[in-house]
Amino acid sequence: MDLNSIYQCVITGERDRIEGLIQSALSAGCKPDDIINNTLIKGMDEVGQKMKDGDLFVPEVLMSANTMKTGLELLKPLIEGEERESVGKIAIGTVAGDLHDIGKNLVVMMLEGAGFEVIDLGVDVEVERFVQVIEEEKPDIIGLSALLTTTMKTMGETVQAIGGKTKTMIGGAPVTEEFAKEIGANGYAPDAVTAVDLAKSLIS
Amino acid sequence: MWNRCSTSNETDNISVQSKVLSDSQCKRLHNAVLEVLERTGAEVYCEEAVELLKKAGCWTDGLRVRIPSHLVERAISTAPSRVVLADRNGERRLFLEGNNTYFGPGPTNPYFYDLETGERRDVLKSDVCGVAKLTEALPNMDFAMSLACISDCTPGLADVHEVHAMLQNTTKPIVTWAYDVNNLATIISMCEAVAGGQEELQQNPFIVVYAEPTSPLRHSKEAVEILLYMSEKGLPQMYTPGVQGCATAPASMAGVLVIAAADNLAGLVINQLKREGAPYIAGAVTTNMDMKTMIHCYGSSPEFSLMHAALTDFIHYLKLPTWSTAGCSDSKVLDEQTAIEYSLSIYSAALSGANLVHDCGFLETGISGSLESLVMADEIIGMVRNIVKGVQVDDESLAVDIIDKVGPGGNFLTEDHTFKNFKKEFWIPRDIDRDIYRKWSTKGKTTYGERLRARAKQMLQESQPEKLSDDVLQELRGLVDKAEENKA
Repeated sequence: MDLNSIYQCVITGERDRIEGLIQSALSAGCKPDDIINNTLIKGMDEVGQKMKDGDLFVPEVLMSANTMKTGLELLKPLIEGEERESVGKIAIGTVAGDLHDIGKNLVVMMLEGAGFEVIDLGVDVEVERFVQVIEEEKPDIIGLSALLTTTMKTMGETVQAIGGKTKTMIGGAPVTEEFAKEIGANGYAPDAVTAVDLAKSLIS
Repeated sequence: MWNRCSTSNETDNISVQSKVLSDSQCKRLHNAVLEVLERTGAEVYCEEAVELLKKAGCWTDGLRVRIPSHLVERAISTAPSRVVLADRNGERRLFLEGNNTYFGPGPTNPYFYDLETGERRDVLKSDVCGVAKLTEALPNMDFAMSLACISDCTPGLADVHEVHAMLQNTTKPIVTWAYDVNNLATIISMCEAVAGGQEELQQNPFIVVYAEPTSPLRHSKEAVEILLYMSEKGLPQMYTPGVQGCATAPASMAGVLVIAAADNLAGLVINQLKREGAPYIAGAVTTNMDMKTMIHCYGSSPEFSLMHAALTDFIHYLKLPTWSTAGCSDSKVLDEQTAIEYSLSIYSAALSGANLVHDCGFLETGISGSLESLVMADEIIGMVRNIVKGVQVDDESLAVDIIDKVGPGGNFLTEDHTFKNFKKEFWIPRDIDRDIYRKWSTKGKTTYGERLRARAKQMLQESQPEKLSDDVLQELRGLVDKAEENKA
């Protein structure tokens, strides 16, 4: 069985083909863990790079992310008990007062595509909810999103309330690197692909 | 590369179009043209043509020929309403019919901007190779022209050398010019060598020759001989007066149109008398002379675009294929002025539905040109074509089911419908910038002009036009050498 075809399938985002390809890989004796690490995650790494190079468009990247996720869901039950190491755990949400979520959803999909375990808190997330999630789920990172210049302020309050209990990363159209420094967040990413790189670097 | 939306034919009923002249205005213009040709007539500096005209029923007095209306009307009716141009391999590509609009570069500029040094210098044969290579690679350039009157060859043979350069570097149809009928014979022989014979070239022509009367109402020997030669060969001919309001035509737009059409239709009469049914593409460069600088405005005058569109309406009314002008500028360098003049003229030409639109890449009123200008014109055409194609309205595009599935507050980014349609429905820029500030700044804070230069360099390097066979190359070389000997 050629694992390369699964890898290519992730890159081209052919969601309908991934299940069949993984089934034949499994029948041929490939290990689920091997398939995840050497085809699905590697494929998404390549997709991220292509996106950065300007060779892929967002809908294509999302198709790849969905393909990867379909594959992952198929393989996950097979490795339960073996305690597969997740790349990391992130809780993410749009801050209080802000209902915008396209950018945040994009980051969620890209993080999942890269193998992160993601807790999506949705939109208009109160400061207390973020703090509560840290206690309950113990994520490695909290991600905050805002589109409005008026809700950027809430971002600062949220980061303050988290108070270094966990790492924080922020993003959104009006947000900048400087602003991240100003409010004491651990990182800023201008787009969904960079957000994955940032999350990886915050964890390592 | 070929752009799928080169034609608006398949979506004719939904494409965006404009009309400048109503049918009744066309009718009045037509009558005025017939009156000028019958009453004032024209000077024809070619004996054979005068004889043909006389025999057909024109009144002649030396060089002066007065053409009765019925002869003009007959010529309009015998010329084909459509001309199809093939590529170098004989595949039929450009359908000059209806409102299909195709774009290409211009001819005969003596200067060129060097892509490496940025200096304005004499134009060289190697520049024509570059123009042809870029034309081959650019998705919105549908035909080739030399964008040159080259300086580095035997005087009087630039036309032959330019076609020699183009034939080797692009498969797209070629529109070209000729000093005289001798050089034209060499050019046509070269094309026949590539096509594999005279009949092959006639059936699927990839060459159009461009000649110019000397407006107002004068037809030079050289120009008319080219008309007669192409007609006899049954190959597509363009006869394009350059008409300037206030100078070679009255100071009114309708007056410019009358001279332009009268000169063009006199050419058509000669062309059809020589051989009925010969393919002829009608049109003219219509503009005004600037009354301060005396330049022939080439893009900076709004009337330039307006009169071209009006003439296109008139030629559509006559049911002939049309020739027009756009993507050219009076600016000396590629700058903000160039971008304005290119954009407006290209948009106007596309809306008018002119079939063959030339002069993309011109600067300085057609005195110079550059590769980066051609790349810019190509991107503007891309944008314009996405406007002119119109809005598709059907079940698939109304997408009511998808809207219901996504529901309030959802997003459409991950829908299969988006994946399938985003490139088809929405234009994607090549060098027009849409980066966020931070990214633009990390990439070096480039201006559009800088990116165009980089793109031209990259495309020039990567373009690999299909090669001609060694036999054909040798034959072409032989024909060029023979023309050189005859000149010596």
